[in-house]
Amino acid sequence: MIDVARVDYWAANGSGPFHRASVLSKLLFLAFVVAAAVACRDPYPLAVGTGMLIVLAALAGLPWAVIGALSLYAAVFALLYAVSLRGDGWTYAVLLLKAVTPAYAVGMVIVSTPYPKIFSFLSAFLPEILAAGLFMTYRTLFILLDMMDNFGTAIRLRGGFSPGNIVKNSSNIAKGIGALLVRAVERSSRLYAVMVVRGYNGKMAETTVGAVGVHDWLPVGTGLAVLTTVLLWR
Amino acid sequence: MTHMHIPDGIFPVWLWISGFLIMACLLAFSLYRLRGMDMKKKIPLLGVLSAVMLVAMSLEIIPIAYHLNLSVATGILLGPSLGFVAAVIVNLMLAFLGHGGITVIGLNTILLGAEAMLGHTFYYILTDKLSTYWRAALATVLALFLVSLLLIAIVGVSHVDPQTYGHEHGSETAAERGHDAAVPASLTTFAIVVLSLGVIGWIIEGAITGAVIRFISQVRPDLLAHTLHKDTCRTDPSRCGL
Repeated sequence: MIDVARVDYWAANGSGPFHRASVLSKLLFLAFVVAAAVACRDPYPLAVGTGMLIVLAALAGLPWAVIGALSLYAAVFALLYAVSLRGDGWTYAVLLLKAVTPAYAVGMVIVSTPYPKIFSFLSAFLPEILAAGLFMTYRTLFILLDMMDNFGTAIRLRGGFSPGNIVKNSSNIAKGIGALLVRAVERSSRLYAVMVVRGYNGKMAETTVGAVGVHDWLPVGTGLAVLTTVLLWR
Repeated sequence: MTHMHIPDGIFPVWLWISGFLIMACLLAFSLYRLRGMDMKKKIPLLGVLSAVMLVAMSLEIIPIAYHLNLSVATGILLGPSLGFVAAVIVNLMLAFLGHGGITVIGLNTILLGAEAMLGHTFYYILTDKLSTYWRAALATVLALFLVSLLLIAIVGVSHVDPQTYGHEHGSETAAERGHDAAVPASLTTFAIVVLSLGVIGWIIEGAITGAVIRFISQVRPDLLAHTLHKDTCRTDPSRCGL
């Protein structure tokens, strides 16, 4: 899994043109790039589109190389899928770019938009339980990742990890996950109590669609440019 | 096996749109079933278990490209309806973590949600003669097996053909470009790969889910006595580890 804490830091602390754009414009940008990937059956326009995204990310001060590395995660599985299709080099190129291009666009959105802002936008359209669940999951994920890190260190220090002994390792990992789950539930119960004290009434998500501003031309324009490139190439 | 890492634009549009529609119907049905519950109290638990699934997904078993997902454990602990809601949350989160495949969110949610629902059902219908560990482990293996069949069926109905990408370059053919014509994909090969590699994953996931549920039944049995399972727990407390 990607380093959520680092992504969160970039999203919250950046001040480039992409950061200043509204959530709506960035989701539109994402929709255009995904539409381009769906419509495309040729690797060249998608390669051009990916190149445009990389240049934009670099110019906007986003961590373009890290986003590239993150997008390769999707490429690994696309490659496996391509192998199962037994296609030729052309097929491999199309599938890889179909995976990498939207993944790069998602990377650009998440490193420039704090998750709470995205959830806040989605909350306007999603049922309350989903919106609140997304916020709670996001909040708990950091706690769990931290606890998981500590658990990994503890299991090694206490000799609970033996390379080659799958049964022992599985048993210890399962107990660790169980302990993690129990502790996380206890923490969430405390969090719930705190929320109730602070007036939680079942509606915790701020629902803001946000206004369209002057900075929105960049993501919307880029998304449209990628989609237009793909459509014209056909 | 429960999460398709398939890029956008591979599946036909009708298929992934159907995925979103079915997901919306199942979500609406789940929310309808949950209407009488104290949702305020359930939201923190929902958040925790969704986050646990996300963390489990980061534990990848490299040689077989399988990662844990603990969806059955989530289904057992949350119940089928809330388990499905957790599947929706996890897939939305994954999409926004750059996991790839935005158009397949609907289909992936159906698969993950089916695991939670089937896992919960199998856990509660399996005989009492089995220990908590074996009930959870067997429920996991059965649920994962059925969902893998569903996955194969989805790929089967998608009629994915690599030639789709090999012959659309103006008037050029694959041969004219100097590429060999792509060999049509074999669903049988795909099914063999999924089931043969999957069985290793199911066993690992089953063993870990069994151990996790056994641990919880020993340490916090009240977590298994979820409100949704209240009737089961009242009639037969031993099923809830009480």
